[in-house]
Amino acid sequence: MHMIRLSVFTAGLLLSIAAQAATTEPWQLPIAVKKLDNGLTVVVSEDHSSPTVGISMVYHVGMRLEPQNRTGFAHLFEHLMFEGTPTAPKGTFERVIQGGGGIFNGSTRADFTNYIASAPVAALEPILWVEADRMKTLDFSEKNLANQQNVVKEEIRVNVKNQPYGLFYWTDLDALAFDKWANSHDGYGSFKDLDHANVADVKAFHDTFYQPANAVLGIAGDVTPEQAFTLAQKYFGGIASRALPARPDVAEPLNTKGRMQQQTDPLAKAPALAVGWKMPARDSKDQIPMMVLSQLLVGDDASRFFQGLVKGREQVLSIEGGVNYPLGTDIDYAGPTQLVLFTLYKSNATPDQVLASINQEIAKVAADGVDDITLRRIKTKLLSDWYGGLESFLSRADTLAKLQTMWGDAEVANQLPGWIEAVSADDLKRVARTYLTDANRSVIVRRPVAAAAAKVAANSPNTTR
Amino acid sequence: MTIMKKPKLLVLALGLCLTGLAHASTAPLPKDLPAYGPDKAVPVPQVAQRTLSNGLTVWVVPRDGLPKVDVTLAVLGGTAADDPSTPALSSVMAGLLNEGTASLNAKQIAESLQAMGGNYEANAKPDAIVISASALSAYTAELLHLMADTTLHPSFPAQEVALHKANSLQALKVREGNPSWQAQRAIDRATFDTHPYARNSLTEASIAAVTPEAMRALHAAHFRPERSLLVIIGRMSAKDAFRIAEQQFGAWKAEGKALAEAPQAPREAMPQRLLVTREGSVQTNIRYGRPSLSASDPDFVPLNVANTILGGGFTSRLTQDIREDKGYSYSPFSMLNANRVGGSSFARVDVRNEVTGATLTELNKLYESMASQAPSDEELVGAKRLAAGIYLLRNQIQGSLAQTLANYWVQGLPPTFFSNYVTEINQVNADQVQAMGRKYFSPKDQSIILVGDPKAIEAQLKPFGEFKPFKP
Repeated sequence: MHMIRLSVFTAGLLLSIAAQAATTEPWQLPIAVKKLDNGLTVVVSEDHSSPTVGISMVYHVGMRLEPQNRTGFAHLFEHLMFEGTPTAPKGTFERVIQGGGGIFNGSTRADFTNYIASAPVAALEPILWVEADRMKTLDFSEKNLANQQNVVKEEIRVNVKNQPYGLFYWTDLDALAFDKWANSHDGYGSFKDLDHANVADVKAFHDTFYQPANAVLGIAGDVTPEQAFTLAQKYFGGIASRALPARPDVAEPLNTKGRMQQQTDPLAKAPALAVGWKMPARDSKDQIPMMVLSQLLVGDDASRFFQGLVKGREQVLSIEGGVNYPLGTDIDYAGPTQLVLFTLYKSNATPDQVLASINQEIAKVAADGVDDITLRRIKTKLLSDWYGGLESFLSRADTLAKLQTMWGDAEVANQLPGWIEAVSADDLKRVARTYLTDANRSVIVRRPVAAAAAKVAANSPNTTR
Repeated sequence: MTIMKKPKLLVLALGLCLTGLAHASTAPLPKDLPAYGPDKAVPVPQVAQRTLSNGLTVWVVPRDGLPKVDVTLAVLGGTAADDPSTPALSSVMAGLLNEGTASLNAKQIAESLQAMGGNYEANAKPDAIVISASALSAYTAELLHLMADTTLHPSFPAQEVALHKANSLQALKVREGNPSWQAQRAIDRATFDTHPYARNSLTEASIAAVTPEAMRALHAAHFRPERSLLVIIGRMSAKDAFRIAEQQFGAWKAEGKALAEAPQAPREAMPQRLLVTREGSVQTNIRYGRPSLSASDPDFVPLNVANTILGGGFTSRLTQDIREDKGYSYSPFSMLNANRVGGSSFARVDVRNEVTGATLTELNKLYESMASQAPSDEELVGAKRLAAGIYLLRNQIQGSLAQTLANYWVQGLPPTFFSNYVTEINQVNADQVQAMGRKYFSPKDQSIILVGDPKAIEAQLKPFGEFKPFKP
């Protein structure tokens, strides 16, 4: 009896929201870009609402470009960037930043490595100094290398070897889906390769990739572009640029035959499934439509997969994922990536049934596209999340530096809302039909197994291609 | 330093990064390093405050810039108020708030949120149910309407309750595989013993007790305006925010009797040695700690500074020794978990099996050093500057500010605690830090919890006492 009043009210709420959508005024960031003579690009977004700054130094090198017998090296190298230089010995970096009231971190991805910090603006100059100092050279020390080999292996134990599911939906799914070593290898690295890394490798990697012409410095917050450019020139301007190696072609076509793998997991207590489809390239006309489709399918609790599989068919406990999941977003990749799903399925369902349900949801979009109200909702959600991701000065600086690095244009941050707005229902049909096919799909089923039995199973992976 | 970093982590990272200085180098800094610039004044966000006629406290912080609004509703009474026979039952109730109301079903709620660019999260914490949501600020009225509808008029539909029950049972199984969860359960037990703070996660018995009627009764017992705080931060005027808050929450009335406050948690506990067996573990998850204090305790601020120096961040004694010198662990840290009626203080260190004993030796030394070794000037000044810096960084982010304000309120701290925070931190001296070391960090008072494979580590444990198997 509630139903009639209820649906009228709902329609009312949704319509009033849909009608208002156009009134959300666009939020544009001020963006100033300058390239120094040595090739370092500096991107600045001024905002005096807090007396703090966010800083991101992005180097255009990541796991794809690490040496072939050195899996995990780009990440190990990232750790060594925090371990001191001849002028600022080990320990200096954290003393300067935390002593200035700031926080810092670094992360390694397929296409870039970023070094981020955020602090009260009084610490800006010293932070730029230590950042420039480690661009020049490092303390190429055996002792520091051995220390960080241990630390990185602990990181891999925490996140992979001692963890249920062990990120199989990243490393194992990439290994299954991709054919070129650059895209398929384990970017966290084998312990064997990590142990073999030596000081000469560290020096060669720094010499090759860690230099001004291969870097973008992003600064957001309580600073003017003029001040920031002057400081960048002062601390980085004297660093010599060197020739960069040619970028290898890492592109891969979509797959033409589905791939499937069965795994066992001695630490997990419930079965899981990972699904991946190879995605359009960064500069493809399909990239932004795919971003919208991903939101429609797996973006939130209103998504088709959540409503269709967690609710509806009640086959899975959870389903999460997206383009470039779990290490990135729809727009911060440059080489091949996947739309990834990670789902824990329930005892009342089989992997085949879950895959069939996923395909039914995809088929609906491929056949019918999506209605206007739903499309409006999804675009609003994407816009809101995009703005939210630019809120903190740290993520603002980092996003701008990454866009400048991979798209060659930090202004993409202001253009993206318009690109999302331009996506049509026909675009969604097209990208669903092109990319989300069985032929282009890789699947891993991972089932719990008792620890004792796991040792036997580990020696006989069962892969079909 | 990390491969796994989720976008939302920043807010968390700011929370966790609380920090200090160490055994670290005291060498002079590089001669060419420029000095810090002059410190700017630390702005304190101005919170407009009002109490509605039904007793609901409403705090508003208008902002310019980002076209979004963040809202947090905190309702006193969390898992500590749950019946001992059904631990954390209120977490199921919180999880069902957005699964149906008198006027909307779950799908309509999800779609309405999506249409305003919204996020919504409801959690049962030890002392409160906390609901946080955000949306584009153009939809401030709609967001507050949805907040009010889901928190004041949830209908707990039978079908959603049944699905939630089935999924919760499966989730119990899943979490058993997670070593951090296993470790936390054991340290909470060792710390809080029979106090309700130890009963913060669901059991099969709790799930069996879930019915729509039980959820409705629990909801009525928890949700009372005079025991709730609504925080609204974003691009709108205080006047509009108060007007909408009055429209949406003004008619809210309490039913029945208010929940009793939880009793004070223990400040001391007999130190325990517990081993949680996890076959096939390649690491030991070490938790090393004891009960400490409530947030309103006079020691709270000095203990924060002391904890920052001990194990709060990268320059801390723990990180510099266990990670940067020994290479035993990726992310060792210590934390202070201060709640409304008590709290705990503990280190979290995950290490490879072979160095389990060696790490415990280091922890004993490092904890002892907090009493025997006064903080250096650099440690003390660094910890204070970092606290001020994190205060600024956290306040820059709307959602993070809303949750900070709500957390302080739930912890029983007055609004002046937030406005005076940096001043108070700056008054802490080295003697106080050492006194905190003696009072809270003495190795003899710490329980040691290990999650791991006994076969791989037992031989290393002899010097640290007899470890008993943990019984859930």
